[in-house]
Amino acid sequence: MSSSTPLQRPFAHSGGSGAMIRLALVNLVLSVVTLSLWRFWGKTRVRRLLWGGTSAWGDPVEYTGTGKELFIGFLLVLFLIYLPIVGGLAWAQVLLVAGNPLGGLVMSVLYLLTVLLVAVGLYRARRYQMSRTRWRGIRGGQTGSGWGYALRSLVMWIAVPLSLGWALPWGEMWLARYRFNNTTFGDRHFTCDASASGLYGRFFLAWISGLLFALVAAFLAWGAAEVARESGLSEARVGFLFTVTLAVVAVVVLALPWAWYRAGFYRNLAAGIRFEGSRFAADAGAWRLMRLVAGNMVISLFSLGILRPWASLRTFRYGCAIIGVEGEPDFAAVHRSDDAGPKTGEGLIAVLDGAGEF
Amino acid sequence: MEADRPGRFSDGRSAAMRKVVVRVLATGLEIRGADGFLVAVWKTGDLIADGDWPEKRGIRLRCASEPDARLAVEDAYVIREALPQPPAPPRRKRHALVLVCLLGAGVLVGLMLGLAPGSRLLAHLVPVGLERQWGQSIATGLEGQMKACEGRDGLRVLDALARRLAEPLPAERRQVNIHVLRSKDINALALPGGEIILFSGLLAKVEGPDELAGVLAHELTHIGQRHVTAAMIRALGVGVFATMITGDASGLVASGLGAALAGAYSREDESAADLGALSLLEAAGIGSDGLVQFFRRLETMEGRQGQVLAWLGTHPESGSRAAAVEARRRPEPHLPALSDTDWQAVKRVCSKPKP
Repeated sequence: MSSSTPLQRPFAHSGGSGAMIRLALVNLVLSVVTLSLWRFWGKTRVRRLLWGGTSAWGDPVEYTGTGKELFIGFLLVLFLIYLPIVGGLAWAQVLLVAGNPLGGLVMSVLYLLTVLLVAVGLYRARRYQMSRTRWRGIRGGQTGSGWGYALRSLVMWIAVPLSLGWALPWGEMWLARYRFNNTTFGDRHFTCDASASGLYGRFFLAWISGLLFALVAAFLAWGAAEVARESGLSEARVGFLFTVTLAVVAVVVLALPWAWYRAGFYRNLAAGIRFEGSRFAADAGAWRLMRLVAGNMVISLFSLGILRPWASLRTFRYGCAIIGVEGEPDFAAVHRSDDAGPKTGEGLIAVLDGAGEF
Repeated sequence: MEADRPGRFSDGRSAAMRKVVVRVLATGLEIRGADGFLVAVWKTGDLIADGDWPEKRGIRLRCASEPDARLAVEDAYVIREALPQPPAPPRRKRHALVLVCLLGAGVLVGLMLGLAPGSRLLAHLVPVGLERQWGQSIATGLEGQMKACEGRDGLRVLDALARRLAEPLPAERRQVNIHVLRSKDINALALPGGEIILFSGLLAKVEGPDELAGVLAHELTHIGQRHVTAAMIRALGVGVFATMITGDASGLVASGLGAALAGAYSREDESAADLGALSLLEAAGIGSDGLVQFFRRLETMEGRQGQVLAWLGTHPESGSRAAAVEARRRPEPHLPALSDTDWQAVKRVCSKPKP
């Protein structure tokens, strides 16, 4: 389709905050009663609400995962991966105590393995979620390998500090490209050729503002020490004022340029994604993105994570509001795929990293 | 009756959606394309309700024989009335909740019943050499933090007394090293392997060799029964388990639960060590009067503020401990635990050697 095709906004979300908050509170009670084992089923209910409230081209999205799958995935990883690693670490500790240099080696290898497994787990969790997503009766999916993704992540983690942060836009986009090029709907692949080349202007500002923030923080700390010495105000008072000022400065100096960069990232990424002849777009703006992220942080922090489903709901609504598609993909050409996806879900990430779940 | 309703249909083979006309028959739904061609026939018994279609005041339906197909029908009141029976709603499963509750309870019970015996069993599987190495490294660490007392005669006497008391223990448990550290705490520790730490504060409070023998016998029992190693395994087990169940990798839950459970189990270990001390003392012919006396004196000190009675640890009822030991005492001829000169050497173990 040509680029003159009008931009549609085919996604909509009808989920209400009230129902989600109620579900989050019910899940909390049930989790307490069941020594937190309810969380797999609770998470599934939250996702059903998140997915089910989403519609695309007038038809609803469905989440077909079950709590049992998540639970079994968790158990498998627990016994096949987590416990062996803990055992290995204990053994390495024993070796270290005995003064054996092998202990340090074993320990570093195991730590590296754990970090890689987190990345593998994130990728596999996405595969599970895609395979449990249906629209018009057709399943999504994900190809590619978790280890391939983990090794790419490792390259990025090494490159970012070595380049003083400048590898970040490139690395993030590289990983995002890998994710979306391996995303399928039915028997068709998404393609993604987004690049970070247009992003460095925004990143330059974010990078400079980070530097500026560090300078301002150092200056403020020095000033606070001076004030405390000369005026004789109590240290706690000065410390409090210092923290408040620093937070305000952080919002002004750090958050807005960073949000501007992130918004540009999402715009670039979406503009590079195609599916069956249609191009995606994301109308992401810095101010709205910052409000979303800040609001979600406040919700998660002040509810101790209990209302995180509400934050997820806000993210879904935001996504539905900003994502556009040029033209309608040729859905008649998309057929169901025979790949049913993994049998169990997300164990790695449920065990190794409690954060980042819906 | 006019029962033709517009709707949307996806056949589940492709992601296309087509506009259809749905007609209600006696046996079910007939789905035809806009061009009149028959697309599908869904039997009434196979229909599954799939939620509402709010904007068109309609319903969504599925069919048990074509699970991937999706149908949405406008103005569904006609459909609802025309169907002989309402479409079956998707089954809501309640048994998951019941199962999860049972599972949680089972985990808790299993933990309570299995933790103590399990850790004891595992403790006996730890190789002696490893345990000893571990204990020695802890002892070296403690000696680095606090000053060690180096009265050579005193240490030799303590070693000999410990060896005499340890006679009934299994052979690989009999090799004990005694360290005396300078500290005001009235405390003694058994480390894994065979290290016993006595604090100078305890030595100062002990009146007579029989009391000292009582304390040593108590710590030797900890070593003989591998209490410290078992406690470590227990703490590790609780931590790993809490992390496993809750998925909380930060360790907050694990450390909290570990601290809560440690007290409960150390109480058991202390009583076991008291009983074990009794039999060690009797086997050595020393008798348990010293241990009882020491407990009695600690009991009177407990009331006073500011006293550091760490040896009682998590178990401050020395009165009842004394009573428990006393109840099992057998009257037997007593041998002295130490000779007078030896006792003086022990008392002097922390004083600076005279030039």
